[in-house]
Amino acid sequence: MTPPGFAAAQALAARHRFKWWEVLPWVAAIAAFFLFPTYLSFGTQVLITILFALSLDLVMGYAGIVTLGHAAFFGAGAYTVGILALHFGWNEPLSGLVAAAVVAGAIGFVSGVVLLRTQGLALLMVTLCTMALLEESANMGAAYTGGFDGMPGLEFAPIFGVFQFDPLFFRAQYLYALAVLLVCFVLVRALVYSPFGESLTGIRENVLRMHAVGAPVQRRLVVAYTISAALAGVAGAVFTQTTAFVNLSVLGLDRAAGVLIVLILGGYGRLYGAFVGAVAYMVLEHTLAKAYPTAWQLGIGIVLIVVALYARNGILGIAETLRGRLRMRRAS
Amino acid sequence: MTAVLLETRGLCKNFGALEVAREVGIRLEAGARHALIGPNGAGKTTLVNLLTGLLRPSRGRVLLRGEDVTHLTQAGRVKRGIARTFQINQLFRGLTVLENVYIAVAERMGVASSMIRPAGRRRDVIDQALRLLETLKLADDAGRRVAELPYGRQRLVEIAIALGLEPRVLLLDEPAAGVPGAESHIILDAIAALPDEIGVLIIEHDMDLVFRFAQQITVMVSGEIFAEGTPTEIAANRDVRAVYLGSAAADG
Amino acid sequence: MDLVSIALGGVASGMVLFIVSVGLSVTMGLMGFVNLAHGGFAMLGGYVIVYAMDAWGLPFFVALATGFVAVAAISIVLERLLYAPLYRASELDQVLFTIGLVFVMIAAITLGIGPETQALVLPDWLRGQTDLGFISYRTYSLMVIVAGTLLAIGLWLGFERTRFGAQIRAAVDNRRMAQSLGVDVGRLFTITFAFGSGLAAVGGGLGAEILGLDPQYPLRYLVYFLIVVSVGGLGRVSGVFFAAVLIGILDFVLKLYYPKGGTLFIYAFTLVVLLLRPQGLFGKRSG
Repeated sequence: MTPPGFAAAQALAARHRFKWWEVLPWVAAIAAFFLFPTYLSFGTQVLITILFALSLDLVMGYAGIVTLGHAAFFGAGAYTVGILALHFGWNEPLSGLVAAAVVAGAIGFVSGVVLLRTQGLALLMVTLCTMALLEESANMGAAYTGGFDGMPGLEFAPIFGVFQFDPLFFRAQYLYALAVLLVCFVLVRALVYSPFGESLTGIRENVLRMHAVGAPVQRRLVVAYTISAALAGVAGAVFTQTTAFVNLSVLGLDRAAGVLIVLILGGYGRLYGAFVGAVAYMVLEHTLAKAYPTAWQLGIGIVLIVVALYARNGILGIAETLRGRLRMRRAS
Repeated sequence: MTAVLLETRGLCKNFGALEVAREVGIRLEAGARHALIGPNGAGKTTLVNLLTGLLRPSRGRVLLRGEDVTHLTQAGRVKRGIARTFQINQLFRGLTVLENVYIAVAERMGVASSMIRPAGRRRDVIDQALRLLETLKLADDAGRRVAELPYGRQRLVEIAIALGLEPRVLLLDEPAAGVPGAESHIILDAIAALPDEIGVLIIEHDMDLVFRFAQQITVMVSGEIFAEGTPTEIAANRDVRAVYLGSAAADG
Repeated sequence: MDLVSIALGGVASGMVLFIVSVGLSVTMGLMGFVNLAHGGFAMLGGYVIVYAMDAWGLPFFVALATGFVAVAAISIVLERLLYAPLYRASELDQVLFTIGLVFVMIAAITLGIGPETQALVLPDWLRGQTDLGFISYRTYSLMVIVAGTLLAIGLWLGFERTRFGAQIRAAVDNRRMAQSLGVDVGRLFTITFAFGSGLAAVGGGLGAEILGLDPQYPLRYLVYFLIVVSVGGLGRVSGVFFAAVLIGILDFVLKLYYPKGGTLFIYAFTLVVLLLRPQGLFGKRSG
């Protein structure tokens, strides 16, 4: 006879192990590379959005920080590599990613220390205002940022000095974005299954209790916020590098709200919600928005209302419920 | 003479003009079983919040084993051995029972900030959490989400989390509150089985439980200590009967 | 421009901000519901009012009243059907839902009426300038200032002097306590929600001349409404009033002298205020 609690302990001990289906997104991404060679530019955007949503999932899905200003860090990363390339001739992509992560992470750290003491509406507003401040600064600092027009026609060096970004065929860009996403994903995955990730979940679930078990809540939140900001910065940097331009759209409320929608649509606090949400949202947008922009807005509006009212855990949540029902039926 | 674990001196707390604690001085000794009783609004939970650092006193001091901890954060006091339960469950409802206790144990063992090694690989943390669940007879529910448990068992998880911190001082805020009569014995059993060396301060309205459990009773009324003594002394105290037991009897 | 004209211009746009935002402040204070769709009600109201004057030839003030009633009615339906199930939901779900609602409103207006800017055709007596003795200023702006001030006084009296107002104040300060004293917070919320949305509608109509009116209105001014509410403090009529006037003047002056990037200071101002006083300049600290 197994001792009671053994199964629960096994489940916890096995939680972080890779499951067979976790290979599917990557297989799908590689398959898309070969199947849709004309859509690789779009595919690159999807990959970037996944990474951005993943960074948001860390703070919002796991640590429970509701922010309306996450595009601040995406934009910080995007502008960092843009400015470095245009004004300082620093156009080596990989070191550019590091620079973007450092700058965005630093902004995340400083703003996290200051902002994360607030909550509720005040937190929403201070995150929003911080992003708006950055946006206005980028608008005003035209000498460096190109102001409203941004910086078009940036040039970046080949990756490892070999693989050149081709502005017409996005093969190199797609694979580059995919590789960056993979590395970042492995990192985030390790993080959420670590004791640190467990304690973030604890903060989300009950911050009062977290204080009462002696957790340095504020410090953990700032650390998570900093890491998340750095990852969002990397996503922004990849955006600039692969599209060869950057403008104010990387910093706006549109982008911040968009990534929020992507994550919630897919299912937050679930790691793969970012993948599912980004693909669903962007494919729909791509097919609908161009032909019927207003219909797209109407459609996504209705979807959001329905998700908020009936499917709070997003697409993955629906899938989990269905799977649960299926199991119940099989068992009975 | 036994060592004084926890002591307050002249503790005061005001919310604006409202005085919720006035010159409160209590002492808790190692291994103590000390009950804090008093009518609703007497300031009992406020006192617990002052002891744990959830609230800062307006005046006065909190001493833990002689060390002034008045200005320490909650985390700092937990590290020095104060743990508590809440009057209304404060659990990680979406997580399993095992995870709830894991979080507390990981925090105490100082591994909760580690980012790379998976939580599941910390067998030491898991094993300790499991052992604790076994002593509280919660092991069968280890894999269930807290939100799915009946309320009485959720109250046990409160206690399990606090014990996961291996406290020297345990503050129990109405551990049996809201538990249906049929389940209340599991709480009583758990309290009776607490390790001897822990000093326990319990807030409770159930007089049976108080008189069965406590060696020492403090009665609070309107933010002040009204009477102190052994259960026999308190039971015989006419003023206490008039102010508190009398009204409780009238209510019940 | 001279100082008085600048002040009057700023105060006028502040009044519009106040009329639109005050309902949001009270409903958010009551239920803690993050309602990002509030500006949508202002926009709907603006369209009803413009349409009522244009198509039915209603007089200005009758059109305003029509806008109030129509939007209040719509908001009751939405509140009962869609908002109510989300009172206990997380902030995130509320944010998501209200963003969705704004999208639907924008799309509905764009599809039904079109994306172009609507012009409010003012009656003759509101056009031109009025001589105040020491200065001559736009009659319409002066009317907006008077209307806003009267409304603020009326609301303040209603809040401070009536039983209903007392119930709202009690519920904003401590919902649970108010409920245990027999206040039906749900009903309170429905009524204030409808009233606040109606006021927003009036603000949308009155402000069409100052803020403009087109389908993108709710998103363009969302941040402004939120700033006014959070700086003013939740559930504080007087707080929202002062915050709205402050932001209105600040915005007016900055747009005049620093047309490029002047809003930077408003964001910075809001950030500093909220970091120092998360409950807003005039709000009470909770807990």
